Amino acid sequence: MSAQANALPFTRDRNLVGIALFIGSESLFFLSVVIAFVVFREQGLATAKAQLDIGRTALFSVLLFASSGTMGLAAGRRSRAWLGLTALLGAAFLAGQGLEYARLLGAGLRPGSEMFGTTFFTLTGLHAVHVLVGLVLLATLFAASSARPSRVGQTAWEGIAMYWHFVDAVWVVVFAVVYVGTALG
Amino acid sequence: MTATALVRRPGAFATAGVLRTVDHKDIGILYVLLGIAFLAIGGLEALLLRVQLATPGEHVLDPSTYDQVFTMHGITMIFLVAIPMLIGFANYVVPLQIGAEDVAFPRLNALSFWLTLFGGVLLYLSFVAGGAPDAGWFAYAPLTEPAHAVGSGMDWYIFGLAVSGAGSIIGAINLAVTILLMRCPGMVMGRAPMFTWMVLITSVLIIAAYPILTSALVMLLVDRQLGGRFFDPAGGGNATLWQHLFWSFGHPEVYIVVLPAFGMISEIIPVFSGKPLFGYRFVAASGIAIGFLSFGVWAHHMFAVGLGDAENAFFSATSMLIAVPTGVKVFNWLATMWRGRIRLAMPMVFAIGFIATFVIGGLTGVSLAVVPIDLYTTDSYYVVGHLHYVLFGGTMMAVFAGLYYWFPKVTGRLLGHGLGLVHFWLTLVGLTLAFLPMHLLGIEGMPRRVWTYPPGMGWDLPNLVSTIGSFLIAAGAIALTVNVWRSIRTGERAGDDPWDAFTLEWSTPSPPPSYNFDAVPRVRGTRPLWDRKHPDRLDPV
Amino acid sequence: MASSLEPIVVLSLVVGAIAAVIFAGVLVALIVFTVRYRDVRTGSATQIHGHRGLEIAWTAAPLALLAIIFALSLVTLGQIGQGATFGSLEPPLHVDVIGHQWWFEFRYAGGAVTANELHIPVGIPIELDLSSADVIHDLWVPELGAKSDVVPGQRNVMRLFTARAGTFSGECAEFCGLEHAWMRVLVVAEPRAVFDRWLAAQSAPASGAAGRGLEVVRSAVCSSCHVVQGQVAGTPIGPDLTHVGSRTTIAGGVLANTADALRAWIGDPQRYKPGALMPRVPLSSADLDAVVAYLESLK
Ligand code: HEA
Ligand code: HEA
Ligand code: HEC
Ligand code: CUA
Ligand SMILES: [Cu+2]
Repeated sequence: MSAQANALPFTRDRNLVGIALFIGSESLFFLSVVIAFVVFREQGLATAKAQLDIGRTALFSVLLFASSGTMGLAAGRRSRAWLGLTALLGAAFLAGQGLEYARLLGAGLRPGSEMFGTTFFTLTGLHAVHVLVGLVLLATLFAASSARPSRVGQTAWEGIAMYWHFVDAVWVVVFAVVYVGTALG
Repeated sequence: MTATALVRRPGAFATAGVLRTVDHKDIGILYVLLGIAFLAIGGLEALLLRVQLATPGEHVLDPSTYDQVFTMHGITMIFLVAIPMLIGFANYVVPLQIGAEDVAFPRLNALSFWLTLFGGVLLYLSFVAGGAPDAGWFAYAPLTEPAHAVGSGMDWYIFGLAVSGAGSIIGAINLAVTILLMRCPGMVMGRAPMFTWMVLITSVLIIAAYPILTSALVMLLVDRQLGGRFFDPAGGGNATLWQHLFWSFGHPEVYIVVLPAFGMISEIIPVFSGKPLFGYRFVAASGIAIGFLSFGVWAHHMFAVGLGDAENAFFSATSMLIAVPTGVKVFNWLATMWRGRIRLAMPMVFAIGFIATFVIGGLTGVSLAVVPIDLYTTDSYYVVGHLHYVLFGGTMMAVFAGLYYWFPKVTGRLLGHGLGLVHFWLTLVGLTLAFLPMHLLGIEGMPRRVWTYPPGMGWDLPNLVSTIGSFLIAAGAIALTVNVWRSIRTGERAGDDPWDAFTLEWSTPSPPPSYNFDAVPRVRGTRPLWDRKHPDRLDPV
Repeated sequence: MASSLEPIVVLSLVVGAIAAVIFAGVLVALIVFTVRYRDVRTGSATQIHGHRGLEIAWTAAPLALLAIIFALSLVTLGQIGQGATFGSLEPPLHVDVIGHQWWFEFRYAGGAVTANELHIPVGIPIELDLSSADVIHDLWVPELGAKSDVVPGQRNVMRLFTARAGTFSGECAEFCGLEHAWMRVLVVAEPRAVFDRWLAAQSAPASGAAGRGLEVVRSAVCSSCHVVQGQVAGTPIGPDLTHVGSRTTIAGGVLANTADALRAWIGDPQRYKPGALMPRVPLSSADLDAVVAYLESLK
């Protein structure tokens, strides 16, 4: 192993630095989709006000935000129980999204039906895909640490936790822009 | 499977070894080979364009074919030639330069290569699957919206760029982590070789810029496949949003393909001048400055869009500012040559050629940053002239310099000097004939991206000269090919350090063993090999 | 001022001179160093690592030069930008410009509509209101200087000016699809009196020769895309043909406007402008002749 003369102060773990850079890249990806949403916000405001279920989505959002806390506990203690709870909360959030989508689609909103449909489904859909990927990672971690707990390094726990926190943080922004923004008018 | 075997026996490609290799040197070579293959394809496309434009009213290509060819030429050269070549060099050289045994994530490294290749294949599949993309490399909406682009060409564009872009992002993360965490003892960032520095900055730019392109591609996909309206003014969308997003990526992109080139030049000029790089810290810092500034200039591609005089003035100012750190580099290279002992080996010949041609491209760039001048020249052949002077006269000349410089390390053999000179002069004269008249064409009013033009506009002669020049460049490429071919077989043996160089890659055998170094190197300055060879005249720390 | 191009030329000469001096300096240094310090002596070079003063100098000097260029560019922008008068006291003449794949439509206040041929009076500012019917185009008349994109969903305004009468050739500069190359325009600048006469004639309804030609244009598919004001109430998808006979070229400059060319164009548009949005309309040879004769009479 080549010795490292001067690692970054916060960590020496190359996996975590790599994941941090990846998350940085993903952040810019979401930033530009959020900007696109904001550009067309005015146009979609009336529909958004009429159609979005702000209260219920807030409730499901709380579940997602809570899952960040449980993920922190899970990674800190390498705890499968907390990990399982995290996954449950994440899945509940996705289910909430599913309900919201079903309702909106039922009301005739489509990605192509009007501008709000385009921006809403693109932004929240891309986030949902990331939650889904996160859930797969959580499940993989769960399975691996059930089979051979000692073979799963701390890095895996921390790396997946970083990603999960990121997915959570993105939703803070998306919820603020799409839902709170609509409520405020 | 070692790197040498790969180069010596192209037949080895067929073996599973190559497909499974994760050694950074093998991946580096694969990247460069990919770049060369696509250079031949993109170059042949360019020759087709030039044949069609040689005289007015030519009918070698019909308009539809012409549009596909110029679009694929631009995409190929940027995404499948420049980027892979530079990432390839970085892959091969950086771990050696910093005394590491490999990159941080060897498997991901292989993945990013295969993604790039796969993206390229997707783009080219479009030709047989109903037509290639034909809206230019920056694909302005709404020409790309389903109402106007009926075929599947734009979908191939979306998937091809997204896939190869994912490869570039992964590759960049890998290189950045390698440089940040795997330098050998004693090599603080302030002592890292300048090529390594520039690769680090480029990697950060890729990590930050490519996701913006990906997001724009996703939005375009939503428009095309789900009936979305992002870029469709008829449906309430915004045609210029695409331009803002594309150029927020696209301008950093052009520095992504030139910073590593600056890095190569910053390695070669000191070695062949027998002096350290003049103003090391300023050259590194100017790279950082260019990196930051590159995210604040995108709208200089949009001066004629109608953003407003104030906005245009702002982006004009930031664009001009980039000339300052770039000038710092040029002046430091010149100062490195000053009072040196200059050896005109092929790498140095190309480096000198690079400075001359790149500065022309840079200066025309500054003229484009001047709003009133751009309002006249934008979308004309003047811009085509600028972009080839910086991309060919800049990036490609540096890539050639790097090729002559590191070829002996990779293969253990030197490239021939005589054929090298033939290659150099054909390229220099060819590019001057091909691209200088383009500026004149632009000034005389010829728009870019036209499949043909009327006679009697004063455009005939410059176009003919340009076509002749392009064939000289191609002849030069053939000289290079012959040179490579001959050297691999019968070239002069290079030894570990044929150039009396300064950085660690020259302290290990040519080609290096798979673990790179026998012992972990230790360094105390910016020129570890100089220090080793001149214990009496150590570099100051 | 002679034209809206003039300020750009002046600025370009200044910037070009500065650039030429910088390039010459770099080139001379490059050549002199290469020749002078060529490896002929033995021994190694003095190891010079840098010089702070020089670094500051070659940061500051370009910065100063660029500041000057930037300031000059603002002056020029004022001379040609929004609201520029070009030293004329008269109010500008407005013309609406509409970009189509692949031809430009020009609409004047009095109702005159032309295609690919813009007539302007000399000596007064021309204000062009630009909009697009489909994709992004860009109107550029090099001899009149700046260009402007023509963006769907957005109205851009561009001012041009010339003090000299003449015919200037121009074009669409933004790639807009298959026939971007043949989206050329002619700008005819003429003295005020001549221009006024032209505009009056163009504003009048058509007075083409009645007969078989008119009948065909009215009844055949032509009227599904073309209008002849006063004679054929068609759908305005293609160029307005009210005074098509008075134009110099047809179809964005592909052909000169002669009887033979008209006949060839209508007989097979795709042969001359592959991709153009006008289909081949099967007409008998006699009908074709009649149509051409009619169009020619639309002066
Ligand atoms: C390698 C890629 C590369 C590089 C390095 C550059 C460098 C620069 N480019 Fe270029 N550019 C492109 C690739 C590149 N460009 C491409 C591909 C396009 C077209 C895209 C398309 O439309 O298809 C383009 C288009 C383009 C435009 C838009 C033109 C248009 O479409 O209307 C502009 C406008 O501002 C511009 C400006 C600049 C500037 C100011 C620099 C500066 O960074 C240059 C700085 C360098 C120097 C100035 C020389 C050295 C400096 C000195 C010797 C110091 C002294 C100098 C002065 C005081 C002036 N470029
Ligand atoms: C790195 C980037 C790069 C490079 C190297 C080149 C190289 C060349 N380019 Fe390109 N070009 C672009 C990037 C590049 N270009 C971009 C970004 C655009 C804009 C596209 C757009 O508008 O969307 C463009 C557009 C462009 C146009 C404008 C098209 C138009 O607007 O209508 C033209 C026209 O002449 C042109 C010509 C050439 C020529 C003659 C070369 C020559 O240098 C090529 C010479 C040929 C070779 C180097 C290949 C030789 C190889 C062989 C003959 C095979 C030998 C075999 C082996 C090696 C195995 N290019
Ligand atoms: C489907 C639509 C369509 C139909 C039908 C059609 N045209 Fe056209 N026409 C166009 C378009 C679009 C153009 C502009 C083509 C271009 O320049 O790219 C055009 C251009 C022309 C021009 C050149 C005008 C100019 O000033 O440049 C003439 C003349 C003309 N058409 C005559 C006819 C006649 C006669 C017929 C019937 C026999 C006809 N067209 C049928 C769409 C149509
Ligand atoms: Cu219209 Cu190009
Ligand atoms: Cu740019």
